[in-house]
Amino acid sequence: MRNIILEKIVSLFLKVMLIFAIYLLLRGHNNPGGGFIAAIIASTGFVFYAIIYGTKKVEKMLHLSTHQWMGIGLLLVLISTLLPLFFSKEIQTGLWIPSDFPVLGLLSLGTPLLFDTGVFVTVSGVILTIILSIMEVLEWN
Amino acid sequence: MIKYLPLLIGILFLSGLMVSLIYPFLKKKLGWVLSLVPLAVFILLFTVLGDLKPKSLQILPSGFELLEKISFTFRIDGLSLVFGLLISGIGFLIVLYATWYMKKYERQGHFFTYFMLFMAAMTGLVFSDNIMVLFIFWELTSVTSFLLIGFNHQLEKSRQAALQSLLITGFGGLCLLFAAILMGQIAGTYQLSEMISQNIDFVNNPRYLLIFILVLIAVLTKSAQFPFHFWLPGAMEAPTPVSAYLHSATMVNAGVFLLLRMHPLLGDTLEWKYSLILSGVITMFIGAFFSMGQKDLKRILAFTTISALGTMVLLIGIGTPLSMEATLVFFIVHGLYKGGLFMVAGIIDKSTGTRDITVLSKLWKHLPVTTIFAILALISMAGLPPMLGFVGKELVYVAKIQLPGLSWIILPLGVGANIMMVAISLTLFFEVFNPWSKKPDVSIQHKEKDFPWYFLLGPGVLALAGLLLGLAPEILNTLIANALYVTKNELVDVNLLLWHGFNEVLMLSIFAIALGVTVFILRKPVTKFICSIINWLDNFHLPTFFMTVMNFYLKNAAKNTQRIQHGYHRFYLMTFFITTLVIISFQINWYLGDLVPFNGFTPINTNIVILVIVASLAIIFAVFSKSRLSAILAMGVVGYAIGLIYLLYGAIDLTITQLLAETVIMLLFVMVIYYLPKFALLSSRKSRARDIIISLSVGFFITIVVLHANTVNFYEPVSNFYAENSVIKAHGRNIVNVILVDFRALDTFGEITVLTLAAVGVFSLFRFTVKKEKNNINK
Repeated sequence: MRNIILEKIVSLFLKVMLIFAIYLLLRGHNNPGGGFIAAIIASTGFVFYAIIYGTKKVEKMLHLSTHQWMGIGLLLVLISTLLPLFFSKEIQTGLWIPSDFPVLGLLSLGTPLLFDTGVFVTVSGVILTIILSIMEVLEWN
Repeated sequence: MIKYLPLLIGILFLSGLMVSLIYPFLKKKLGWVLSLVPLAVFILLFTVLGDLKPKSLQILPSGFELLEKISFTFRIDGLSLVFGLLISGIGFLIVLYATWYMKKYERQGHFFTYFMLFMAAMTGLVFSDNIMVLFIFWELTSVTSFLLIGFNHQLEKSRQAALQSLLITGFGGLCLLFAAILMGQIAGTYQLSEMISQNIDFVNNPRYLLIFILVLIAVLTKSAQFPFHFWLPGAMEAPTPVSAYLHSATMVNAGVFLLLRMHPLLGDTLEWKYSLILSGVITMFIGAFFSMGQKDLKRILAFTTISALGTMVLLIGIGTPLSMEATLVFFIVHGLYKGGLFMVAGIIDKSTGTRDITVLSKLWKHLPVTTIFAILALISMAGLPPMLGFVGKELVYVAKIQLPGLSWIILPLGVGANIMMVAISLTLFFEVFNPWSKKPDVSIQHKEKDFPWYFLLGPGVLALAGLLLGLAPEILNTLIANALYVTKNELVDVNLLLWHGFNEVLMLSIFAIALGVTVFILRKPVTKFICSIINWLDNFHLPTFFMTVMNFYLKNAAKNTQRIQHGYHRFYLMTFFITTLVIISFQINWYLGDLVPFNGFTPINTNIVILVIVASLAIIFAVFSKSRLSAILAMGVVGYAIGLIYLLYGAIDLTITQLLAETVIMLLFVMVIYYLPKFALLSSRKSRARDIIISLSVGFFITIVVLHANTVNFYEPVSNFYAENSVIKAHGRNIVNVILVDFRALDTFGEITVLTLAAVGVFSLFRFTVKKEKNNINK
């Protein structure tokens, strides 16, 4: 049975959650937030979406499978770990882009942000992989 | 020239690894191409032989260092030359032999991969100057021989034999590793050349006995000495080319090689002498004795190998220059005739389809050329002139007579072993080849002219080499003298002769031959007698005993694993909690005076009191609830309350994470638990009482630990460093986040990797097992 009001609410909810997650991710370095928290929020949005629309729709929306997202996240983390080697520094040394953004003054760009993004993508992938598998097998929705 | 040796050893390894790549292009010609590598090694070593001086020793660093002090350095001296020449020469012949022998086998590529790796490991073993590297090659020979013995892995027997040999020789290898570490610690270096040049005194070191015992175990297991000899007859399950190589120049001879290598460092002590002589004598005699009772051609040869290995170990135990000389000559003799005889056994097997000597007969008519080679090899085995075997055996007698005090036991057993060798050689000839035999003809599947020339090349070359060296043994003089210098650290004049004139040694030889012929004539009763002894000994059958021990061990391991990994989640938790409880209560008793420290507390906050009350109520509800779902929800309330407590103390990141994680967990639980039926069975009164006691006491002790955590600081807290450097070094004001992504980023990396693995595990569990079941139900 379709429930149009619920469907509209959930798709709006997903958008809000995603934007909020990205906001939390970016501000994480200086204020409460960060990759892990953002990942949970984003994946909660997806899970609610999946409960209403079905897991297939979420998988289509993500373009890649959830495992591939996990892999991409780990790859980002790895890149941010190894990147300093090319600047003749030890691995995992923080590299920073000197920045003075007019609007996002607090935002500092550097390998830690890349690292945090990697954490975000990986953890989202992990949570979605687990929950979507369970939903699919137990035939929720 | 010789500089290229490390390179060639590398190429040997590479050629083994490359087989699977080049096999599709070469197919049948694979063996030809591969045989070029050992041939190159042989030629290289042969060129060195020409200008060999008695004292020459060359160290060749390969530039490759595994770890500090463990560098792949190779040494070329007389000893490694003797072994290296035999390994590469016989290796070359056997690769050619195997090209035809293995023609019909599937997985030829696998065979040649293992075989080349085995050869490479053995070559590396004899040339390495670093005992750690020597150990690595030693273990490699064990592993590759395991693969080769178990090559026909569809046969249970073959797998069992392979496993047995791996377990036994692998165990010896571990002993060698410990010995090498101990020696390295005493000497401060793992280089053999440095140990010798610095005159390190191992013998008077308090740890000498330990080192010696470890080396001894390594040698006894590898060289199939009593009581570890039983794996070698089992190893004949391998394809014949492998057996030929294993017995003649490699693997079992590695133990002999190790003894010769270690002799200047560890040798010539009482322990060395008596233990080696004892095990050598026993092995020598039982090997020769039992060979008479066998019917399978390869099995007979395997037992004679055991006897020969015993002889070599015994000679090294005697330890005089003459006995060392005898060892080296005997090693060459044995390699030449044993390699040839095994290849002949393979030819007979191919031609008639059987190796049973009671069935085989009159092969002279069908395989004339093979028979000539076999006879030459058999003469060498019996120790008759004019083969090199005669020279070797005479030397062995001289060495045995020389030893005062012990010769009364060694000599009779030595002569006994020799009698048996003469008898078994004659028996083999008369049963298998004799054209005038009265036995019925054996059916022939392949005539000799069906075989290509290179199939007969191996035994031919080896037999002729034995003959040539027997007629002119002085060719070996410098080689043996140099090898002797390496093992004894003194220059000895070596003068090998075929004919020594009439002396007591010759008398002994004639005596042994005469008795050997007698035994041969009486072979029927003798064989019966030996068979009855073997039957009686089968009560203590060592392979079965070994398997029993192994099975017992496995069963025990399984039982213990089941005791720990029983699969009941509640008992895992119980074990975990009780262990924690015991450890904590001990710690508290020993280290802390007061049970509860009454200082350093902040005043009680009303908000927190309210949260605690809510959480407690939720817990009580969860405990008494009869539905899973409501219990989970109540636990969720506890989680949220904890999150709020974090908030009251200003840890906002923790709060957010806690709340969100709690939400996700609730979601998961609800999804799964929704499908579970209602509780069918509530726990009994007894188990509930037990659970209450456990949970209350765990809670009590954890509370005490938490109360103490604030006051006990063994180290300066690290949090100050983070707080001070977070902005300066990491450009971030959120310390928690900075710690996660910068200061301790490696930890985070590890954690998310683990998370990923967990997700993959969940995914595969669900999609592969549950879906399959569903399909089955649908069908």
